[in-house]
Amino acid sequence: MLETVVQAVINGLLIGGIYALVSIGVTLIFGVVKIVNFAQGEFVMIGMYITFFLFSTFGIDPLLSLFISMPVLFVAGALVQHYLIRRVLGPNDMPQIFLTFALSLLLLNLSLLLFTANYRTVHTFYSDEALHLGGLYIPVAKLIAFGVAMALSGALWVFLHTTDLGKAMRAASQKPDVAVLMGINPNRVFAVAFGAALALAGAAGSLLMPFYSAYPFVGQVFVLMAFVAVVLGTLGNVVGALVASLMMGVAESLGIQFIGADSGQIVVFAMLLLTLAFKPSGLGGGRVR
Amino acid sequence: MKNDAKQSVTASSILSKRPTRRKFLKTALAAGAFGAVPLRGWAADAVNIGALYPTTGGMAQIGVGCVAAAKMAVEMINEAGGIKSLGGAKLNLIVSDVQSDTTVTRTETDRLITSNKLSAIHGCFASALTLIASEVCERAKVPIITGSSSDQLNKGRTYTFTPFARASQFAKAQLQMSKLVSDQPKVAVIFENTAFGTSTSNGLKELAPGEGVEIVMFEPYSAGFTDASPLINKVKASGANALFSVSYLNDLILIVRTVKQVGLNVAINGGSGGFVIPDFYKNVGKLAEGLQGVAHWNHDMDDNAQKVNAEYKKRTGDFLFEYAGGLVAQTYMLADALERAASADPQKVREALSALDVSSGYAAMAPGGKVKFGPDGKNVYGRPVGVQWQNADLASIFPKEDARAPLLKT
Repeated sequence: MLETVVQAVINGLLIGGIYALVSIGVTLIFGVVKIVNFAQGEFVMIGMYITFFLFSTFGIDPLLSLFISMPVLFVAGALVQHYLIRRVLGPNDMPQIFLTFALSLLLLNLSLLLFTANYRTVHTFYSDEALHLGGLYIPVAKLIAFGVAMALSGALWVFLHTTDLGKAMRAASQKPDVAVLMGINPNRVFAVAFGAALALAGAAGSLLMPFYSAYPFVGQVFVLMAFVAVVLGTLGNVVGALVASLMMGVAESLGIQFIGADSGQIVVFAMLLLTLAFKPSGLGGGRVR
Repeated sequence: MKNDAKQSVTASSILSKRPTRRKFLKTALAAGAFGAVPLRGWAADAVNIGALYPTTGGMAQIGVGCVAAAKMAVEMINEAGGIKSLGGAKLNLIVSDVQSDTTVTRTETDRLITSNKLSAIHGCFASALTLIASEVCERAKVPIITGSSSDQLNKGRTYTFTPFARASQFAKAQLQMSKLVSDQPKVAVIFENTAFGTSTSNGLKELAPGEGVEIVMFEPYSAGFTDASPLINKVKASGANALFSVSYLNDLILIVRTVKQVGLNVAINGGSGGFVIPDFYKNVGKLAEGLQGVAHWNHDMDDNAQKVNAEYKKRTGDFLFEYAGGLVAQTYMLADALERAASADPQKVREALSALDVSSGYAAMAPGGKVKFGPDGKNVYGRPVGVQWQNADLASIFPKEDARAPLLKT
């Protein structure tokens, strides 16, 4: 019994690490640029396809392709921010919502056209291996993904707290008007934030590829969980999103184990409703941390 | 984008009240733009066959293969001289994309029937879509022949023909196959919580006691999960020695890979559908070796099946999978009916189909090798075949009389 519980918690933490990469991206964009990026899942999908084609064409290991997918998506993010998002920023939220939603649909249908609805899977030598400890098992690919996800989250935290650009980002998110008065260029800060968020999505894509299949709709599977984690961990709060993602992974896994295999999402959304009812601003504070 | 273009053209061709020749040209253009119509098919005496398949959307993988097989079958029949009793009339296949969507299926079936003079229709592979297309065909009195397995298709219908095994027979075969691996099978049934998953698994549950199979776990899950580990953790705790997974492709891929990671020693039976297509092996790779499933058709059944398989392989690079192979047989059944009806009238074709009785040739390519429809449109000889992945190919292994390769012990 104890073994089953521990195994369920391990499973939950491992998948929670992937949720974290997606949700940190969403919350970073919300915290700094103040928009909700509905297309975040599609950028995970693009990260997966980049990884898949690098592997199938050049034989590049998914983990090495992190060094390609992240910069590519960083640049894509900065461009999207500069040429699209920047033009709709303003007092009215509607154009922003429509823009990112349209971007999501565009990318989804474009990839259906280019890549078809087929599933693409990568098999590396560690894809289907697991470490066995006593009665427990830890899938290698997921353990690596979890480790890299935590390292990237940590690096982002360090970046936000120790570099000038990171501090400028936090400043712009906390008091945009004052930040501008202090000489911070919001457009540059926004472009870096959007780029960093998409780089995380790209990382999620590369890390998922050894154990998950790529297909055009794959982003939708992960983005729903990410949005819940973002709200649960307080909109705009990076640490909150990370903690909430791990919690959700564990709650989902325990729910499947002990309530029923179709209850995973019930548990997660019940958790969300209860949190909002008793702590409406989410579990974290209200700032980019 | 392809779809949008097609829809706008067809919408205007329905709405327009221009002379019929122009309308005809537009329809031809619309169909031609979709790559459906061989040019010579538009000869005056061509017999129109409608084909309803999802070539876009979530079910497109199988739908695209079905269309390729349907075209191949029509070409084979036309090259052999067409329908002789109709003066060598060629078959003309009119393909319509039902976009993996029930609403689109209804409107497309309607459109296909009203804007073309059809003798018969075949489609749509996914039962949920076929049920709707069949309703429309019944009302329009156009015969539809289908490989879809839902037993519902045999209830209160007169224009619907199902030459292959039914869902209830699939369940029975799956249970019997579990005895191939153990004298006392303890089966875990996991199924996605959709209409397809629920009805299939309920069939398994009802029939299990009669077959002497114990079900130790019976669990629905949310389709499209991010992680199969918690579910497989549960299977492990149940002590099952066989696992039936009623799932679509992506979930099944995750399940198979996770079972391997856990190091769980269970015999997996993946059922039919997404499990018995080449794409499954491409995604799962060597882990698929030895996994069992059930199918209503397999390419190693007889010489004819192997012949069409070779031709299909030459065209597409993949082996002829269950549904597409059955579709070749179905096209020959339609040709047989047209030959005997000596008419392209859908009513006469229906009557000829209901009198169909074949036991040789391409039309008889079915497990058991015989096709004859009962009053409910069901092939009275219909039965499924148990298959196993062996060397990146599907081999028939069950029942004994249909087995073409020995069981691979895993």
